[in-house]
Amino acid sequence: MIGCYDFCGHYEWTFEWLRTQGGHDLVRAYWDEAIHQDSQLHASKLIEAKGIEGMKEYWGPTLADEGAVYERTVTDDVFRIDMHECPSKGFLLRNGLNQYTDYCDHCMGWIGPLMQKAGFVINHEHNHCGQCWWEMRRAADATPPSQPGKLAGKGDVRLRPDWKSPHTDHYARATDPDDKTTV
Amino acid sequence: MNDPRQSTLMSDAETPSPLPYTDTKPVGHADFYFATNATFRFIQRNHGEEALKKYWRDIGTSYYRPVALQWAEQGMHGVADYWRAFFQAEPGAEVEVIESGDEVRLEVKHCPAIHHLRDHGRAIVPNFCQHCFYVNEAIAEPAGLTVRNCGGNGTCTQRFIKRTADAAPQNLEDIATAS
Repeated sequence: MIGCYDFCGHYEWTFEWLRTQGGHDLVRAYWDEAIHQDSQLHASKLIEAKGIEGMKEYWGPTLADEGAVYERTVTDDVFRIDMHECPSKGFLLRNGLNQYTDYCDHCMGWIGPLMQKAGFVINHEHNHCGQCWWEMRRAADATPPSQPGKLAGKGDVRLRPDWKSPHTDHYARATDPDDKTTV
Repeated sequence: MNDPRQSTLMSDAETPSPLPYTDTKPVGHADFYFATNATFRFIQRNHGEEALKKYWRDIGTSYYRPVALQWAEQGMHGVADYWRAFFQAEPGAEVEVIESGDEVRLEVKHCPAIHHLRDHGRAIVPNFCQHCFYVNEAIAEPAGLTVRNCGGNGTCTQRFIKRTADAAPQNLEDIATAS
């Protein structure tokens, strides 16, 4: 049986299996069709119907169940997550699993299309070490991403001394997993 | 692909875990069954049933290779130890692991995946239960073992036996359609 205890391990293995079968486009299609539109349809329904309130309802229990260490900052205009210990990437790092080129891209792979459909854009950065931050704003809101510490205070993951190690991938007002730049 | 690590991780300071990959949480997050079910549906819809069977075989021979090595080294006792630890970490599983000299039998009384999917109104891929046969057979073969499954859709029996030339093949009709 394929279990849920080590899900992140075989999930990451599956990205590389799909890439070898059908290339990058098949991996992108998997994140959108299988994860966004099928597995996570409960998240899609909540966020499309309730916007930022739906994000609170989805990520609150989900990140708690997954064992994440994170901070959440919510206003009427922005939903921000500072992930200090990603349970998913942490599992891979602890177990030495590294089949796919950038496991962290899967989040933008399914959350990006979801947010686009719900009318939001994403500013996001991940450091490949289990830390990242996200800011979701309505697509019509041109507010730039917050400066470190301005929105999330001391909980801002960018204030960690190890944040920039070894490098980060950055998304600006994006909903597409390929719209990233490396910093 | 790279070989996954083959060393056995420690579940605590003293006792090595029979599971090749371990987490800080004692039990997995059941909503991940949604993604497993969706993965099967995606592969079958886009590439057909044979591609899905290949996925199951490949994940058995590659990702779960440390399990095969453990079974080859430890025999039936290793098989039983693995499944006891495995189902202890699956939320809501009720499974009896029965070990005898030449066989390990799993009596799955409450399949955690099928029940979680059903409880949440998810459309279950009809051949979902076949994955247990194809994945487990791919793990068992290099260890000199073979698998015979019967039932499914929430309860089943899975037998791990020595691989011999005269063993009757698995009849897929013995594996129930999931719903």
